[in-house]
Amino acid sequence: MFNTKAVISFLFLLVLNFNFSQESVPNTTIADFNKKSISTDLVLKDGKYYVLSFWATWCIPCINELDAIADNYKEWTDNGIEIIAISTDDSRTKKRVRPMVNGKNWNFKILLDENHDFKRALNIDGIPHTVVTKGKQIISRRVGYSPGGEVDLLDSIIEYKSNNE
Amino acid sequence: MNRLILFFLILYCWGSKSQQKNNLYGSFFSNGVYYGESEDNDFNEDLRTNNYLKLDYLVGEKWNFDLQIESYAIDGRLQNFSENLNGTFISTFSANYKINNLKFSVGSIYDQFGSGLIFRTWEDRQLGINNSIWGVRTTYSTEKFNLTGLAGKQKKGKTNSDGVVYGFDAELMLFENFDNYKNLNLGLSYVGRSEPEIEYSFNNLTSAISARVDYNSESFYINYEHVTKSKDGIVQFGSVNENFIKNGKADLMNFGLFKSGFGLDINLRRMENMSFFSDRNEFGGDYLEATLNYLPALTKQHDYLLTNINVYVAQPNVSFQDPELMKSGEIGYQVDLFYNFKKGSPLGGKYGTKLSFNSALWYNLGGNYNYNNQNYNTSFLDFDEKYFSEQSIELTKKFNNKYNATLLYVNRYYNKRFVEEKSGEVNSQIIVLDNTLKLGNKKSLKFDIQHLSNDDDQKNWFGYGIEYNLNYNISVYHSNIVNYGNEVEGKPSYYSTGISYSKNSTRLSTSFGKERGGYNCYGGICKYIPEFKGISFSISTTF
Repeated sequence: MFNTKAVISFLFLLVLNFNFSQESVPNTTIADFNKKSISTDLVLKDGKYYVLSFWATWCIPCINELDAIADNYKEWTDNGIEIIAISTDDSRTKKRVRPMVNGKNWNFKILLDENHDFKRALNIDGIPHTVVTKGKQIISRRVGYSPGGEVDLLDSIIEYKSNNE
Repeated sequence: MNRLILFFLILYCWGSKSQQKNNLYGSFFSNGVYYGESEDNDFNEDLRTNNYLKLDYLVGEKWNFDLQIESYAIDGRLQNFSENLNGTFISTFSANYKINNLKFSVGSIYDQFGSGLIFRTWEDRQLGINNSIWGVRTTYSTEKFNLTGLAGKQKKGKTNSDGVVYGFDAELMLFENFDNYKNLNLGLSYVGRSEPEIEYSFNNLTSAISARVDYNSESFYINYEHVTKSKDGIVQFGSVNENFIKNGKADLMNFGLFKSGFGLDINLRRMENMSFFSDRNEFGGDYLEATLNYLPALTKQHDYLLTNINVYVAQPNVSFQDPELMKSGEIGYQVDLFYNFKKGSPLGGKYGTKLSFNSALWYNLGGNYNYNNQNYNTSFLDFDEKYFSEQSIELTKKFNNKYNATLLYVNRYYNKRFVEEKSGEVNSQIIVLDNTLKLGNKKSLKFDIQHLSNDDDQKNWFGYGIEYNLNYNISVYHSNIVNYGNEVEGKPSYYSTGISYSKNSTRLSTSFGKERGGYNCYGGICKYIPEFKGISFSISTTF
């Protein structure tokens, strides 16, 4: 149906000629527990630091990471960093999100990306996946989580802040 | 193809001249297996890879375009993917334009109405699902109101369905009180499907309607969705039975209570004849192609090897296999409870203890089933054969700054005869102890032991997994499960040894092992995978 060589040549053309990397968070819609849809532009305020942590109620490493962050959340807020945990639970498990967040006593903001529009806009394949931003500007991204990784993440943001402010 | 290239070139020239910000970015994902031996002989000694390149292009604030190219290279697709996926081709493409409250999309459309009971299109690369609609969509949204209309054909591998799909969805926030977080939302959706090229003795257009109400407050929520699907021919043994015409319906109710340290959620669902495909004959296909709605199992989604043996698959269909095996849907519930024992309390200890409990119970719909006349009548609250039940309890405790552990116990009943339409019933108990130890200097160790007790089916299993993180980037792991209670000669065992490396948004991994055949479930949807032995590898990155 399609000419493979043409596809590949075309891609090279694109790659060579364009400004190439996702530098800012695309504007898409996301939900919170009360509102059906909010623009991501309204969530991320200019100049403020955010960690967008993509997770799901069935993802054990995601929960381990968020539990570890919740244990020392004050340290994050003291450094001017807001955690936003973006649940990718679909309609099978979405309803577990609110009880689980309360049961675990997580105090950071939770947003819902039920049909993965935000995840797709950020080209995320697997979770856990964290995106660090200053306002809408993407500073860094990480995939996966190993114990202690949250400390390294916090240190890297503090270092970035001290080098750029 | 050439027209699409020309289109992108025009776009490129336009974008280059534009004063507005342009941005191209994307991702690449590749998943491959060398099949040393497979239960499916067609795959033996094959090197197969699934590759996905996705590109997004933003032009200013109003336009965005995306394109996904897929390639099923070397010897073709992986073994649990549709044979319609072969070669290299443009899989999805969409152009979107946004102005004020309006958004227009042309091309491949992903969307969901309500909880997905009548419509959900999405992509899941692990399961090989991409059921996007190739068509047009318009959305009008304000803070309190959202209206969507769409029409098109559905993606089926490299081609589109013959059936045509139309849909609209409206959501309205009736009131909202910011002071106490109360709000009330209403929703109404319609999905129509017809196959213009086929003539049936019944109405070719099948219409599904969903009506929803959703109330939220500071510590409580309740929502209810009612769905009806108009009369449609039941598909049996690969073709539509024009003498067996039934309508479908579903009811979904969900409520929950929560406060700091406590959360409770209760789900009740009844579904009757609810499967819905853009091409009717796709019913019962192995690869979940052309499915229009999302009907996941409402049970706990497990993440350990032994807890994933004999998981429940939702039963939305009419199936008359024999006079003793007739079903028309499912009815049941799921309860989730989460509790945090506070720091300093007797059960909480120094760091607190987290408890989660889940219980689920599912039955066939009760009623009168007549095999000879191929007909049935159900009652709303009548229960027939039990399909599945499960109770699980999970405790997670941090003992000190270096060590934490999770203990999970699962008690499960699985009616293999009714769920899989094979034979047997399974009663199993599974226990998992999962430990995490921080070793300092960025190193950590995770190890779990698992046991499944089962007097039926394949009897007892034992398993373990170990993962050593050399730092935050490199992990090596090994897992092994042994069906030691099995009476067959040479106890079946399945193992995997691998390494993964991740840096920023790139992850590389490879493993060698023998994979257990059976249902691979992700997000409550399951696909059968034949057993195989081989080397797997994956690459994912964004740019």
